[in-house]
Amino acid sequence: MSQLQPQSQLQGSAEEPLLNIQQMQFWLDKAVAWGQAERPDSQKDTCLHLNRLRDFLQRLLTHINCMSSTTETMKTLPFLGQFLGRLCWNPYVTADATGRKLLFQCLWSLYSEHPGNAVERKANQWIQKLFSQLATEEEDVAAQAFMKHMNVPPHEYHLKVLRKMVAMLQENIGKSCSSSSSMNQRCSCDRIQATSEACVPLITCPEAAPLIGALLLQSMTCVRATLSEDFLDALSSAYLSQCLSLEEQAVVSLWYHNLPSLEETVLRLLECAQTNSQSTPQKLEQLLTQSLLPKACAQHCSIFLVVNDIFRSFLKQAEGNEPVKSLIQTFTCCFLRELALQQQQTRVSLKAWFPQSPQRLLVPLLTLPSEMPEDAWRRHLNWLSRSLQRLTEEEEEEEGDEDSSSSASIEGHHTVFEAWFLLVQCAHWLQVAVQLLVTPGPEDGGPLLWLLTFYHHPTNRGHHRAQQLVVEGSGLADEAASLLSSLELKLNGGSCSSGAANRVHLRIKALRNTLTHTQAASSPAENQAHTLTL
Amino acid sequence: MEAVLRNLRSTAELLAVASLSCEVEQWDKQTLSRAFHWARYCEILFSRFHNNTAIRRTLEKHLQLTNQSLVATFPGYTEVTFSDLSRCQHMLLVGLLNNPELPISITKILFDTGGPINTKQSDYQDVTSFCSRIIQCKSACKVLSPLTGLSAVGADAEVRGLMLMERLEALLSQGGEARSTEHFLDSVLQGREGEAEHFCVVIAAALLTTKDSAAKTASQEFLLDWLQTKNRLLQHMCSALPITHIINLAKEHRKFKDAYYDVLKKWASDMEFSITEGEWVQTSTNQTAMSYCKLTEHFKALFSACPSLREHVENELNALKISDGDFDVSGLSVWGDLLSAINS
Repeated sequence: MSQLQPQSQLQGSAEEPLLNIQQMQFWLDKAVAWGQAERPDSQKDTCLHLNRLRDFLQRLLTHINCMSSTTETMKTLPFLGQFLGRLCWNPYVTADATGRKLLFQCLWSLYSEHPGNAVERKANQWIQKLFSQLATEEEDVAAQAFMKHMNVPPHEYHLKVLRKMVAMLQENIGKSCSSSSSMNQRCSCDRIQATSEACVPLITCPEAAPLIGALLLQSMTCVRATLSEDFLDALSSAYLSQCLSLEEQAVVSLWYHNLPSLEETVLRLLECAQTNSQSTPQKLEQLLTQSLLPKACAQHCSIFLVVNDIFRSFLKQAEGNEPVKSLIQTFTCCFLRELALQQQQTRVSLKAWFPQSPQRLLVPLLTLPSEMPEDAWRRHLNWLSRSLQRLTEEEEEEEGDEDSSSSASIEGHHTVFEAWFLLVQCAHWLQVAVQLLVTPGPEDGGPLLWLLTFYHHPTNRGHHRAQQLVVEGSGLADEAASLLSSLELKLNGGSCSSGAANRVHLRIKALRNTLTHTQAASSPAENQAHTLTL
Repeated sequence: MEAVLRNLRSTAELLAVASLSCEVEQWDKQTLSRAFHWARYCEILFSRFHNNTAIRRTLEKHLQLTNQSLVATFPGYTEVTFSDLSRCQHMLLVGLLNNPELPISITKILFDTGGPINTKQSDYQDVTSFCSRIIQCKSACKVLSPLTGLSAVGADAEVRGLMLMERLEALLSQGGEARSTEHFLDSVLQGREGEAEHFCVVIAAALLTTKDSAAKTASQEFLLDWLQTKNRLLQHMCSALPITHIINLAKEHRKFKDAYYDVLKKWASDMEFSITEGEWVQTSTNQTAMSYCKLTEHFKALFSACPSLREHVENELNALKISDGDFDVSGLSVWGDLLSAINS
C-alpha cells in the first residue's frame, strides 16, 4: 500500500475536505485507548465522545461511498479496517442504535460485490467473519456451556440477563434514598449521575426503558439525584425524533430538566395547530391531552410558565393568528381541568400560575361560563368589557400624556397585553358573547361587541374602538357568519319551542343578510373599515 | 405426527443447505423469513415434547435417519441432535453467517438497524434486525454490568440460578427418576477446573431464589442433597464466595448450615501448627486453600449469625479441645485457639 503524505487531504466534495488524516488518527487512537482494559475512564470517555464519533462515522461513510472501489478506499485510509474492527467490539458504540447503524453501513460499503483483486477478496472475507463473530460468538465460555446443557437459545439467554440487570438496577434506584431536601446529606442517589451517564448509549434500547424511566423519576424525588447533561440531551433528541417511548411521569421529568425538549414539544404543537386549522375543538383537545402538556403544567408551575411564555412570544408577532389562539384557549381549558384534579391535595393560589396577569381579572376570566347561572352571563361580560376598556383607556392616556415617562407607557402596554393574553386564554367568554349577540333581546350589544373587537384587535390603531364599532372585512364577519350557521344547526336539532325557534331563525337570517351586505359592499382594499349597526 | 416428522426432516435439510450449499446465493427476504420460521417451529417442537419420552424417542429416531442421509449428501455436515433443536434459530444463523456464498443482501437484512426503533419489547418474531437486536442486547449487558458491581450476585448468575431452578422443578414434578435429575445437575454444574467458582455462584443464586411454593422448596432441597455429595464443590463454595453470602445461605437453609459447619470443622482438623510461621497451616494440599485467619472469620460469622448454633458449636469445640489435652496455651489445639479467637 502506498505511503501517505502527513498533510494529505481527502476530498469528499469540491470545496471542503470531508476527512483528513489527523482526524482519522485521532479517532483511531481513541478506539485503541477505549479497547484497552475496561476502566471507568474509558467508559466515560466513550460516552462523552459518542455524538462526535457518530458525526465522524457519517463523514467516513460518505467518504467511502465516494470512492470507486474498496481498493481505492484502503489506499486513502489504510487503517480503516483496524478502526472499524475495534469499534465493533466496543459495547458503548454497538449498544447505541445510530452508532451501530453507521458502523455496519461503513462495513457494507467496504464489501465488494465483485471483488477485483486479493485485497478486496480478503476484505470481503474479513467483513463476513466479523459479522458472524459479532452475532454468534460467545465470549463467556461458562455461559456457553450452561446454555448448551440447559437447552437455552443464546438470544433468549442474553435477553433474560439484560432484563434482570435492568430490574436490579431499577430496584436499587431510590432504595437507600434519604429523601432529604438538603444537599449536604449523603444519599444513595449520589450514584444517579454516573448511572445516567453510562446509560447514554442505551437510550434507544427498549429493554433499558424501565431503568431510564426510573432515573427520570428519581431525579424529581431527590435533590441529590442529578442527571448527566449528556444523558438529558441524548434523551431529548431521541424523544423528539420519536425513537423511544417514555411513561407519562418520565416525560414530565424530561421537560422539567431539559428546556429544549419542552420548547420543541410546544413549538410542534403550535405548528400542528396551524397546519390543521380546520380541526374541531374536540380534536384539539385530544391532541393536547395526548401531548401530556396540560398535565405536566398542572404538576409543575415552572413548566406552565415556560409554555405560556412561548405562547406569548408567538402572539406578540401574530396577534391575528386564529388557530393558535384556539389552541391556547383549549390548552388553558385542559390545564385548568388538570389543575383542579391536582389541587385536590394542595391549594396553590392562582397568582402563582398567572403572575403577570392583572389580578382582578383573573378569577372573573378563569371562571367558566358553566360555573355561573346563564342569566348572570350578560352582566358578567359587561363587567369584563368595562374593566378591559378602562385598562386600555389608562394605557392610551399614558401614551398621549407627553410628560409621562416611557417606562410608564411600556408598563401600560404590558398590562394591556397581559389582559388581552388572559382573554385569549379564556376565550370561552368570547363564545358566550357572540352567542348573546345573536340572541334576541333589548339589551345593548355595545360592550359585547367591544369585547369581540378587542379580542381581534388588541392594538388599537386609529382610536376607532371607543367611537365606532369597527369590523374588518373578513375576520370578524366570517366568524360571526360561521357561528350563526352552527347556531342554526343547533336550533334545528334542538328542542326549542317552535315559536321561539322561529324568532331566532328570523333573527339569524336578518343578521346574516346584514353581514353579507357589509362584506359585498366592502372594497377589496386592505385596511378598509366598515361600521356595522345592529 | 406424519406432518411433524416431515417438517422436522425439512428443517434439518434446510440447516444443511443454509450452512453448506451455494443455494443461499438465491435467497431473498422471503426465503430467509421462512427459514427462520421453520427454525422457530423446531424450537417449539423441542419445548413441547422434550419431556415426553415416547414422542421424543420417535423424533430422535427420525432425526437420526435424516442425519444419515444428509451426511451422504453434504460433505462436512454436522449431525443435528434433538437437543440441538432447542437452539435451532441459532444454528441456522451460525450456518448462514459462516457460509461463504451468503449474499451481502441477506446480511444486511439480518443486521439492519432500521428507522424508528420498535419500542415494544423485542420478541424476535421478525427476521429483520434479528442480529442487530442480539448485538444490542449483548452490548447493553456489557454496558450495564459495571454498574451492577455492588450486588452480591451478578445478573447472569441470578438468571442462571433461576433457570436452573425452573428446570429442576420441571424435572422433579414429572416424577422422573432421581438419578436422571442428578445426572442433569452433574452435567450442568460440573466442568473444567477453572469454572468451579462460576458454578458456586450459580448454585448460591439458585438456593437464594425465593421459596414461594412447595415445588420450589422441594427443588432446593434436592439441590442441597446433591451438593452434599459433591464435597469438593461444597468446599469451593465455602471458600470462594464472600462470607456474607455464605451466611445468607446458612440462614436460609438448615442443611447448608450444617454442611458448612462440617466443612469448617474439616478444614480445622486438617490444620497443623507451624513453628516457623507461628500460625496454623493446612497440611494436605488436596483440598481447597484456606488460611487460619480466614477460618476464624468464618467461625465468627457463623456464630454471630446463627445464635441457635452457638451453644452446640461451643460445646463441641470445647469437647474437641479437651480431647486434645485441654491446654489453654495457644498453638497446641486448633480447637482451643479457635474457641479463644471466637470468644475474643
